[in-house]
Amino acid sequence: MGFVLSEKGFEKLIRHLSDTYRLYAPVLKPGEGRFTDTDVVRYDFVKDSAEIELSKKSDYSFKEILTPLSETLFYFTEQEMKEADADEQPVLVFLRNCDLHALRRLDQIYLQNGTSQDWFYNRIRRNLSFALIGCAESCEDGFCVSMGANKNVEGYLFSIDQEDGKFLFDVKDFSLLPVFADLGNEAEVTPRFVTENKVQVSIPETVPNSIYQNPIWDEYNTRCIGCGRCNFVCPTCTCYTMQDVFYTENGKVGERRRVAASCMVDGYTNVAGGGQYRKSSAERMRFKVLHKVYDFRRRFGYDMCVGCGRCDMACPEYISFPVCINKLNRAVKEGQIHE
Amino acid sequence: MSKLKNPYIPFSSRILSIIRHTQKEYTFRMEYKGEVIPGQFFEVSVPKYGEAPISVSGIGEGFVDLTIRKVGRVTDEVFEQYEGQSLFLRGPYGNGFDLSLYETGEVIVVAGGTGVSPVRGVISALAETTDAKDKHVIVGFKSPEDMLFREDLKEWSDKLDLILTVDGAPEGYDGKIGLVTRYIPEVPVRDVKNARAIVVGPPPMMRFSVKGLLEKGFEEKNIWVSQERKMCCGLGKCGHCRIGEKYVCLDGPVFNYVESKEMID
Amino acid sequence: MGKDINVKKLKKNAFRYSKVRNETASRVRIPGGVVSARSMGRIAEIAEKYGNGTIFVTNRQGVEIPGIDISNIDAVNRELQLIIDETKVNQDEREKGYPASGTRNIVACPGSRLCPFGCYDTTDLARKMDQAIFPNNLHFKVAFTGCSNDCAKVRMNDFGIIGMTEPQYNKDRCVGCEQCVKYCQKRSVGALKMVNGKIVRDTDLCIGCGVCVTYCPTRAWTRSRERYFRLVLLGRTGKVNPRLAQDFIKWADEQSVFKIVKNAYAYVEEYIDRNAVEGKEHVGYIVDRTGFDEFVNWIMKDVVLPEKAEVARRIYWEGKRYDRSNNLK
Repeated sequence: MGFVLSEKGFEKLIRHLSDTYRLYAPVLKPGEGRFTDTDVVRYDFVKDSAEIELSKKSDYSFKEILTPLSETLFYFTEQEMKEADADEQPVLVFLRNCDLHALRRLDQIYLQNGTSQDWFYNRIRRNLSFALIGCAESCEDGFCVSMGANKNVEGYLFSIDQEDGKFLFDVKDFSLLPVFADLGNEAEVTPRFVTENKVQVSIPETVPNSIYQNPIWDEYNTRCIGCGRCNFVCPTCTCYTMQDVFYTENGKVGERRRVAASCMVDGYTNVAGGGQYRKSSAERMRFKVLHKVYDFRRRFGYDMCVGCGRCDMACPEYISFPVCINKLNRAVKEGQIHE
Repeated sequence: MSKLKNPYIPFSSRILSIIRHTQKEYTFRMEYKGEVIPGQFFEVSVPKYGEAPISVSGIGEGFVDLTIRKVGRVTDEVFEQYEGQSLFLRGPYGNGFDLSLYETGEVIVVAGGTGVSPVRGVISALAETTDAKDKHVIVGFKSPEDMLFREDLKEWSDKLDLILTVDGAPEGYDGKIGLVTRYIPEVPVRDVKNARAIVVGPPPMMRFSVKGLLEKGFEEKNIWVSQERKMCCGLGKCGHCRIGEKYVCLDGPVFNYVESKEMID
Repeated sequence: MGKDINVKKLKKNAFRYSKVRNETASRVRIPGGVVSARSMGRIAEIAEKYGNGTIFVTNRQGVEIPGIDISNIDAVNRELQLIIDETKVNQDEREKGYPASGTRNIVACPGSRLCPFGCYDTTDLARKMDQAIFPNNLHFKVAFTGCSNDCAKVRMNDFGIIGMTEPQYNKDRCVGCEQCVKYCQKRSVGALKMVNGKIVRDTDLCIGCGVCVTYCPTRAWTRSRERYFRLVLLGRTGKVNPRLAQDFIKWADEQSVFKIVKNAYAYVEEYIDRNAVEGKEHVGYIVDRTGFDEFVNWIMKDVVLPEKAEVARRIYWEGKRYDRSNNLK
């Protein structure tokens, strides 16, 4: 059911929701960008409607709530191992169409890959609900339409769109209907989504093993600096590394945590004793790209990449992921002709 | 959910005994009751120092053997532990070897260095089969000093066809010298089309051994390998061990060569 | 009719005394080195109309229009007016050109307007400083640079202002990738190390260059809201004792820096050698005479530094002493 709220109404709505939920939303952090006087939009907990960044796509994704960049799992004392406490309060996450599609990918790995669910992921995940931020127009770098991740018809409590100073909501959660009815007027509302992006990609259906030797990857050896931003901002990257530490000189108290890992950063494939399976940036780029548009699909039946374009926004070396996908597609096609 | 156990919580396991093979390689016999098969691995940890994936090198009543090489922060700390103390374990993880595949017929096992650990249980089982004379084992170490499982080697050489070789040795060493691949052609196999092979060891050794076996006439589908990768979780979540669409911790570490030849890092 | 020119006035009006008789060059002031394309066009027009058609780009980011006939000074001054207006340079009287030349053009690197490493808007501060201290006939060189790279070579100036940021660390966003450690080592002073999977910053060693912030892939490192400056003093070139400016204050604030430079003028007014050739004596040589403590007493008058600021009690300048020995053997 659809509703229209004034700015005041939206303000009240957020205050009302804060009673039940911790609200996790994109927030513009002034001056926290890489460079002087540059900002960053990243997720944080909010209490006020004015804090929610509804216009700009976040630079870092909502996944940080589910797979924190650094997450303590256990505390160790001399004798004991104690599971780190979790906040059990329900959380409402504000995200966009591409991100809601990304959620399925995160669930796929953490809840459905292998026989066991990820305990720590699950204990956060089960408390999450979602509010969908509509996209009135395509962002600069996104290619969600190509990836089929531009639209959602379910999976959210309500959607939000801004239009001429009004706020439009498609409310899916029945329990919230009285709240909306109280704050605004009923209306016909469909969450906005884009049907066209400036960036488009073509994904090869199958990729032959010969692509591993294809020279398309070579340029990344000199271009990529292996910083891992593409992975850290990606809403579908899930890798992590375990880290054990002791706090004190005597080593009696410490913790086990996991931190986000990047397949582009040195050390990702290192095994004890010094072995490293992918040394070059070209190999790592190939590994990442094929995972996003091929290997994941081979295992789970659909592509991992949702085309949010954050990797392009984040790359300090102007390496474009969609451009690489299209290069891959061309190389595969040319290969087929030659064969 | 409440019934489920957190799979990340390790259990404490007492060190029953320690066999010191070399300065850097010990086998820890750990208290363990439960099902486990050769080729599987445990995440071994010393809290505050970290976890490391270690493959099972022996299985017995109430224990598992874990052969550990001292190569980093975690294993350095493991080596500080004594009999009677405890380590923390999670697992077993991975598929392990399907022993029924190797019980009858001709088999070659090619193992190098610490790669002997995951197949030690397989070789021991082969040694007890009725046609043990058709079981050929090539084991290679860097030097005589690096030899692991000396007791087993003696026993195996009595029961099955064992070729023990070292990459290099000081003057006066009277054993075989040379890479394992050198001895693959020498192994007497009657029915190479149906013979089976297992290859475990460092990546280059595995690559060349498989090549040698294929040249000898082995069918791809009759070769199995065990892959070693960085595995932080053992549960298919951390992503480090993924190769293509496969997760070594879930789908392996033992793979048939038909599968593994498509797996490129 | 004979030429009767007051050379001293000519120089103070920002025209050069040229070796070519009857010729001069107009010295156009461009604070911070940023000038509109339109003003640059006007400079070019003057060079075409009154000069020899060339423009000399100076070391201090100004330009000189050479080859001007001395008799055209008034005409050139009139034509300079639009440029002076647009660069917002203080003036005593309109259409009379620049009122002084002793205090040199304020230099600035591109700073945070363009440069990824710039810690503040150097152009903006250079302009503000120009407003604060120009016109003045005392010979002062002031320069601004965005970070410790010192691309503006502020250490060759009487007052060098180097941008600093105090890196803010959010350990919850740190994944221990150690890129900050690596780049601090390779591009800066190596003030970071990883302890227990998180980063520890040696606050003593850290120069506030912001390299860690630039290279952090997760925004675990961000810049401080406060802008800080390293103030370096009394660098100089010259015949007697060329030397690099030395650190006086670390983690200074903008207000203090401005106050200190202003105060220095009063100090020089008090102590300058009245018999100096052309009344020109560099501040550094005055300090050599009065002693550093007296200089500090003057420049620190009414200066309130932030708590974080560290002030050098003594400064030792090295550099070449040609007045003592010039022997290379």
